Amino acid sequence: MISRSQKIVVWSLVWFSIITLSLPTLVVLGASLTAGNMVAFPPQGLSLQWYEKIALARDLQQAFLRSLIVATIATIVAIPVGTLAGLALSRFQLRFTTAIQVWLMLPFTIPLIGSGIGLMLVFGEWHVLGSLWPVGVACAVINLPFIIWSVSSSAVALDPDLELAAQNCGAGRVQTFLHVTLPAVMPGVITGSLLMFILAMNEFLVSLLLTDARIVTLPVLIYNSIRSIITPDLAAVSVVFIVIALAAIWLLDKLVGLEIFLKSK
Amino acid sequence: MSGGSSAESTAGNPVAVVAQGVDMDFGTGAMAVKNAAFSLERGRFLTILGPSGSGKTTLLRMIAGFQTPTRGTILIGGRPADAVAPHRRSVGMVFQKLALFPHMTVEENVAFPLKMRRFNPREIPERVAHYLDLVRLAGFSKRRINALSGGQQQRVAIARALVFEPELLLLDEPLAALDRKLREEMQLEFRRIQKELGVTTINVTHDQREALVVSDEIIVMDQGEIQQQASPVGMYRRPANPFVAHFIGVSSFLTGRRTGTGLTVNGTECAGQAVDDIAPGLAAQGAIRAEQVRIAAPGGDLSGCDTVLEGQVSDSIFEGERLLYFVRLPALETTVQIYHHDPAEQAPYARGATVSVGWNARDLLIFPAKDR
Ligand SMILES: Nc1ncnc2c1ncn2[C@@H]1O[C@H](COP(=O)(O)OP(=O)(O)O)[C@@H](O)[C@H]1O
Ligand SMILES: [Mg+2]
Repeated sequence: MISRSQKIVVWSLVWFSIITLSLPTLVVLGASLTAGNMVAFPPQGLSLQWYEKIALARDLQQAFLRSLIVATIATIVAIPVGTLAGLALSRFQLRFTTAIQVWLMLPFTIPLIGSGIGLMLVFGEWHVLGSLWPVGVACAVINLPFIIWSVSSSAVALDPDLELAAQNCGAGRVQTFLHVTLPAVMPGVITGSLLMFILAMNEFLVSLLLTDARIVTLPVLIYNSIRSIITPDLAAVSVVFIVIALAAIWLLDKLVGLEIFLKSK
Repeated sequence: MSGGSSAESTAGNPVAVVAQGVDMDFGTGAMAVKNAAFSLERGRFLTILGPSGSGKTTLLRMIAGFQTPTRGTILIGGRPADAVAPHRRSVGMVFQKLALFPHMTVEENVAFPLKMRRFNPREIPERVAHYLDLVRLAGFSKRRINALSGGQQQRVAIARALVFEPELLLLDEPLAALDRKLREEMQLEFRRIQKELGVTTINVTHDQREALVVSDEIIVMDQGEIQQQASPVGMYRRPANPFVAHFIGVSSFLTGRRTGTGLTVNGTECAGQAVDDIAPGLAAQGAIRAEQVRIAAPGGDLSGCDTVLEGQVSDSIFEGERLLYFVRLPALETTVQIYHHDPAEQAPYARGATVSVGWNARDLLIFPAKDR
């Protein structure tokens, strides 16, 4: 039983978290709706003028398109690699499991600037810098652990005898994989793919290192602009980002149900 | 690996499954299955009964082909099974945790073996419907698996295992997770379906009641070894050793030495009959079922009993249809358990009360003392 005072503490913490987590979003949303020329909260009057402006800005549009391309490439690369790796890690007894798990922790321990510079050196060596696909591949590489996690948490939740049951039904190895294992972890694959897409869409540091002036992605473009002057159009762009993220969550809920996502470790 | 019975591998072979000297060693210390040998006739319902960890699942998985015996041979329908990949065996299995396909509907789960085994696609819907009918799930074909109750999922698993009409049905404790009422209902269901289809079935359980209720034959296993194979009645009446006597039913054990007419325990002669020949004077163990011991007021009517002793009630448990007494017998320095029916007729004996206890010689089974 939870006592009354425990209840109060828990709910205070919940509300504190909700407010602190959503405060920046609310501020940026307010600022983007301003009728004035300055980033301000609360906004001075309400208008959609800044949304109109960003909808017409060619450089923003192109950077947005590039970010979409990068995110798409990253997702397409990550799906097969992440799915197979996630399955291998959770459904087969592998040697070096500990080593692999350490590797999966790397994104939290190695600063992105480190891996970013590493990738920059590699791609520079191959003379492929200057096109978009290396940025996509780089985003896939640095965020791969997320999809691997997503898939393997979906896979460990499955009955360990699932594949044996498929064999017992007469399915060979390939059929078992195609008809049973893969569809059964599909929620994890979908979750992981959306995560990869959003992370690549938002990826700043690695994009900064791997792009030049001709191929800036949206986060890099925003960064370049705030170095000169902060105008409310950037707030509007941020809101667009937030809307995309919300759309991804909505899609996730439609496709696999959020409870799976919340249950996964 | 003698080829004795594999020679008669004809289509009309009455023997469905034979195991010969089967070992399974995972290399983790004790062997999971040791020298298992049994045979099962076509159409029979066999239950493998044993405590947890006794090797039941391992034995079943070797029959299904998921594990290869370290030694020995398993014949299915007269043919050595090790040459046949698991997905080519004509064996249907219901797994302990069911292992239903979560991304498929009820109908798709049941149709899956038919698709994989290349049944005529036009035949599939009819067959699926027939088997869903058999397990009484006719209205549920479009449901998702996680929208079903435990008992309904159970039935889907059974339909999936039976739909391709395997030579052999394997059940790995599929009822263990159900509550008692539903479990007993499903036990009768298993029995009904098995009799209706006549499919040879091997069921695994640690529930002695289930084994007695559903089976034509029981194998009791302990620590990887088969202790006895017999019919339920035979197993109950004539346990082959103290372990079986202990595992099935409620028995009391008396430790002493073999005499000409029974067993001497702590200097007191107890009438009994030996299961195996034991030379007089050797250490021996007697076992007697709680329902074979009679209890009466001191000097009460225990006519016909070959042994009558006095004792004190040390405890009693009310089980509804009967009372279970624990009676301390000072002469034997031991406590025996006694079932006493129809307790409503008289007030139960109080704790500490002195009572008379007796039994017939044929009911005290005498085994050689374990020399392990
Ligand atoms: N894959 C395995 N690897 C190692 N040991 C195993 C494996 N499967 C079962 N065992 C061991 O074999 C013994 C018998 O197990 P099992 O057949 O599952 O028993 P039961 O089904 O009767 O509970 C146990 O001691 C278990 O730990
Ligand atoms: Mg088991």
